[in-house]
Amino acid sequence: MSSRIEILNDGGLRSDGRRQYELRDITIEFSLQGHADASVTFQHGLTQVLVSVLGPHEAKMRSQTAHDRAVINVEVNVAAFSTGERRRRTRGDKRLLELASTIKSTFEPVVQTHLYPRSQIDIFVQVIQQDGGLLPACINGATLALAAAGIPLSDFVCAITGGVHSTSSLLDLNTLEENDVPHVTVAIMPRTERVALVTMETRLRVESFEEIFKLAIDAGKVLYMEMKAALQRRTLTLVTALGSGSKPATQATVFDVDELL
Amino acid sequence: MTGLSKVEISYIRSSLLSDPPLRADGRAPEDFRPIAVETGVAPLANGSARVSIGQPRAGRGHEAEGAGGGTEVVAAVKLEVDGVGDDEEGGKVICSVSCSPAAYPHLSSPALDDLQSDLTSLLGSVLSHPSLCPQNLVIVPGQKAWALRLDTIVFADAGNVVDCLMLACRAALVDTRVPSTRSVEYRAPGRQSGTLNEVPDDLMDVDQSRNGPSSMLETRDPSSAVDFELADYWDEGKVLESRDSWPVCVTLNMLPTIHFLDATSQEETAVPLRLHTMFSFPGGKPTSHGMRMAGAGTSDMTQIGLLLKHAEKYARNMWIGLEAKLAEEEARRSVKAREKFYGGRRR
Repeated sequence: MSSRIEILNDGGLRSDGRRQYELRDITIEFSLQGHADASVTFQHGLTQVLVSVLGPHEAKMRSQTAHDRAVINVEVNVAAFSTGERRRRTRGDKRLLELASTIKSTFEPVVQTHLYPRSQIDIFVQVIQQDGGLLPACINGATLALAAAGIPLSDFVCAITGGVHSTSSLLDLNTLEENDVPHVTVAIMPRTERVALVTMETRLRVESFEEIFKLAIDAGKVLYMEMKAALQRRTLTLVTALGSGSKPATQATVFDVDELL
Repeated sequence: MTGLSKVEISYIRSSLLSDPPLRADGRAPEDFRPIAVETGVAPLANGSARVSIGQPRAGRGHEAEGAGGGTEVVAAVKLEVDGVGDDEEGGKVICSVSCSPAAYPHLSSPALDDLQSDLTSLLGSVLSHPSLCPQNLVIVPGQKAWALRLDTIVFADAGNVVDCLMLACRAALVDTRVPSTRSVEYRAPGRQSGTLNEVPDDLMDVDQSRNGPSSMLETRDPSSAVDFELADYWDEGKVLESRDSWPVCVTLNMLPTIHFLDATSQEETAVPLRLHTMFSFPGGKPTSHGMRMAGAGTSDMTQIGLLLKHAEKYARNMWIGLEAKLAEEEARRSVKAREKFYGGRRR
């Protein structure tokens, strides 16, 4: 069945006017909400996700703790008005549980859990709007929130989707493209050059996989620059606030933000 | 809302009962924390609003400004086409409340679900009442109507969540635009030239001579429209009718001698007895939409009577404030939309 909207037209433009390898706009906002230690609203195109992190604390249920490391608990909530058609997802929905466990297994090797034995780190994800790329947005938002909450990470985790539309590769798919095109989600750790997550639920030719995989890794590095810049801006604001409240700035209080990250 | 010790509870209560009443943040008993209202936060929904009480967000572009720590609720309205039963008028309002686990980190999952269903039933009992159902939710009389689904999410709770919920619901409902539809009638070929005849909604009248009442007992005029279409894809639509009948809520926390408004979560734990009152002021006349007493404790008739009088006064102030803010929001968004549309072309 042919769709009226072309995924990639002859001029090289996609359905929302982007080029083949063009990523959507990213907006990152740090805010404080309620009891959370850090809260980030990550907007990737039209997909908007709010991630809150509650730092290492005593676990609610003692039976779930591990004696030598912290346990990461991820809960995902999708707003009923997040898609074009209203769809109410209960908390025990299988898709949401799968999403939560994917995020958890992505962050387990990244967060330095051995520093906090017998405690629990909570990551609460609230999806406000979705237009494709939900898992990458959740992962990117969670990285920023964990960093903003001061939880030690070995590296950033930057995720992106990529797909192949009859021999041409596309990066950063929206909903229309995700429904039509086989796609893969890749999460990389940019500084240590390692891959944290690769998932695919559609069928893709093996020859096309290598190209889209390499492209996704490059895109992940671009995302890393954006996320790092946003985090640095926020840290600079905090450092300035710290500095302005104390005695006149001495050598000890002025320090390079780049060294922190 | 971590557990408070007996000493803390008695400290809060005795400060409130002293003369003059003292609160932790220095407010007077009738003072609210600053309330921020923003509409149009969910562009995919037919209407939406975000309300935060206390520590309103400083706005976009202000990072790490310490915004937060208050009660924040987002409400969104989505309209779905629904079939109508035989004796129903058509159109209904269904509410639901979802509590983000980030807002209640100390609650376990079943306790969170309980809280959710509590708040849902409170909201539903007020807003789903048939007398509040707007008339223009009907699309094809007797057959199709809009079902209005009002979904709210509590992002953070620092006390007084019910007031915040009702404010957000009212703001979202006032912001809702119902898409304009046109009824469509199918006529058998041979009578008219075409098989499809469009009958605009407001001009529709049933042709009595063509299909007159089949029996003397039939008093309803049967409408021959069977389907509908959207009048204009890009037009957002009309506002809901009787917008000024959606209520606001004022929660009065009751102590034996005084009452106070807008409790923080610590004050709520120390003073568990409270009265939720819902008022609306269509055309300036106060209408009560319900009240509910919650929490452990008892009161007496004279106190409740006095409280209701005060509640009406407080609700009127809240109403006036909200109306002014919503009018300002509408103006701001229409100016913004116009600028976006014309801004590049004017030059």
